[in-house]
Amino acid sequence: MIVAERKTIPELVDILEGNKKILILGCGTCVTVCLAGGEREVSIISSALRIASKPRGLDFEIEELTIERQCDNVFIETAAEAIERNDVVLSLGCGAGVQAIAERFLDKPVYAGLNTAFIGILEERGLWTEKCGACGECVLSQYGGICPITRCAKHMLNGPCGGSREDRCEVRPDRPCAWQLIYQRLKGIGQLDRLKNIAPPKNWEPSLGGGCRVIVREDHRI
Amino acid sequence: MNIHIFYCANCLDANAVRTIVGSDRDDQNNDTIKTVSLPCSGKVNLLYLLKAFEKGADNVLLVTCGQDECKFLEGNLRAKKRAQAVDTLLEEIGLGNGRMKVIQKSKEGIEQITAALEQIKKDFTQKQ
Repeated sequence: MIVAERKTIPELVDILEGNKKILILGCGTCVTVCLAGGEREVSIISSALRIASKPRGLDFEIEELTIERQCDNVFIETAAEAIERNDVVLSLGCGAGVQAIAERFLDKPVYAGLNTAFIGILEERGLWTEKCGACGECVLSQYGGICPITRCAKHMLNGPCGGSREDRCEVRPDRPCAWQLIYQRLKGIGQLDRLKNIAPPKNWEPSLGGGCRVIVREDHRI
Repeated sequence: MNIHIFYCANCLDANAVRTIVGSDRDDQNNDTIKTVSLPCSGKVNLLYLLKAFEKGADNVLLVTCGQDECKFLEGNLRAKKRAQAVDTLLEEIGLGNGRMKVIQKSKEGIEQITAALEQIKKDFTQKQ
């Protein structure tokens, strides 16, 4: 899932200053799971903004709404009336959600209330870690399901680097060395031979370097 | 001054709450104390506490069971963490920290809570 965290309240006040009627729009998917932009967070941020706006004389009129998914036009439609009756939208969706709303409502300012951080998982309660860099050409099958691009601080395809202490990464001692994990995993599934292969330089063309990426499925188009 | 007290019903009964509120009533200063009973302090969440401030509370006091005395094992620990999060958020907002207080009730009784209320009032008066 996409993991995000909220901008600070002073940042949000600066973004919203000069506006009166504000719709705070949550998203019921990834950002709900990572406790950044779901229904509850919409209420918390709205309450915090109301408190923060009073001493500054801003007196925001805030409406709260959470839709199932902000990155999908079908669900955006359910917010259309609320968006129309407010001056601006503060979206608590990920970057994709904010842009989807902005593209749909051309005359309405849409601001991001979250910083979209990474694609990751909930590792334990209140702790999310990055697992995928969305590089566009997955190499997980060669490394026992552990991504060296994302989880190795040096993104090494031919590791380890030699700097790890015990099983800890030298760049982030609070994190395990990805190559230690890869070794243990490949040993566990009887595929240590894979480490004898030297990986060629990765093709980064499918990654962000080529600009906005597009996937077309002709079998689903008319 | 407006104080909201959220308390766990397992550590304070209605008589104790009446005593606390009654002992602290000061009509001359127009002090208002509002009490909210919780089935466990772990029921409290950020929104409950923030709403209290939004509705005009100057300070919020959260009374939980003592260490290792929570009927639901870790409700008091969760409540304390949430109160800390609210205190941090209040500082971020610009209201300053220290408006959100947590008291773990000891076996001595309610004296520590009335003392905490007095301290809150004193601190508030000094800041004015």
